[in-house]
Amino acid sequence: MGATALQKDRDGLCFFGQISAAISHDLKNILAIINEDAGLLQDFSLLAAQGMELDPQRLIKLAEKVQGQVKRGDGIIKNMNRFAHSVDLPVCDVDFRELTELVISLLTRMASRKCVTVTLKEGEKVHGKGDPFTIQMLMAKGFEYAMDSAGRDGELGIEVSSADGVNAVTISGLGETLPEEQLAELDSIAVKAGSESAYVLQDNILILKF
Amino acid sequence: MKILLVDDESELVSALAERLSFRGFDADWVCSGAEAINKVKENEYDLAVLDVKMPRMSGLELRSELNKIRSGMKYIFLSGHGSEEDYKAGAAEAECYLVKPAKIEELVDKINLALGPK
Repeated sequence: MGATALQKDRDGLCFFGQISAAISHDLKNILAIINEDAGLLQDFSLLAAQGMELDPQRLIKLAEKVQGQVKRGDGIIKNMNRFAHSVDLPVCDVDFRELTELVISLLTRMASRKCVTVTLKEGEKVHGKGDPFTIQMLMAKGFEYAMDSAGRDGELGIEVSSADGVNAVTISGLGETLPEEQLAELDSIAVKAGSESAYVLQDNILILKF
Repeated sequence: MKILLVDDESELVSALAERLSFRGFDADWVCSGAEAINKVKENEYDLAVLDVKMPRMSGLELRSELNKIRSGMKYIFLSGHGSEEDYKAGAAEAECYLVKPAKIEELVDKINLALGPK
């Protein structure tokens, strides 16, 4: 395996690792909440055994909280599964809107940490062919740099569209211009994603074309 | 013993505060660094339990800010795992660092250890 191929593998692995770490962090939080809710139930039982009156409403609310966390965890694991399967085929039919939604969900923790709101605009389904894993990598990097550019309390709008045979993900709401090295990195991932034109940066808008 | 719990997961921190209150601690909770700063300005806390990774202000940054307001406060860091920030918090405060999900008994032990004999 040549150096370029090895680097490509490593970049992909780094991205996979970054997403896996974020997911594991979220799941840890969910487990911690369920742990404390179960602990509260235990405390209530011990206090009830000592004569404290139990409020059934409290127990119902606690059960609902646990169910809510299980639902939250289920959503995260479903996304993790979709992400994991994105490496199954090197090229396949891609639903760009669905993939964009997934990447935004996977980057929820990052957006929260950077204090940026990310909104996917309504639109039609956009289909094409490509390598879903590398496309996700390009989107994620683009969103990450756009978040940095938008800054704290920034609001990014994301639009998925198709015109003249070109599928595009447009990110609006950027603040500062992206540095040259970030644009070069996006360009490099775009080449791996089989994208002819990586980005067009104009008027606080970043366009990823596929 | 007055304790402040800070974590952006409100369900976690509210349950933890209630469980600590059952164990004789006077525990308040908030979900952000900014709220914590306001609370510490208004109350005399003996100790704060801080989530390491929070939006806007990390647990380590928050500790620096709180130290400026109330220098004698003790700290326990509570977090997920594996991040660079977690590592820094763990390395700097090995005796005051707990990984989620933590056992309440462990947290109580750490609090008692940090605050010393009553």
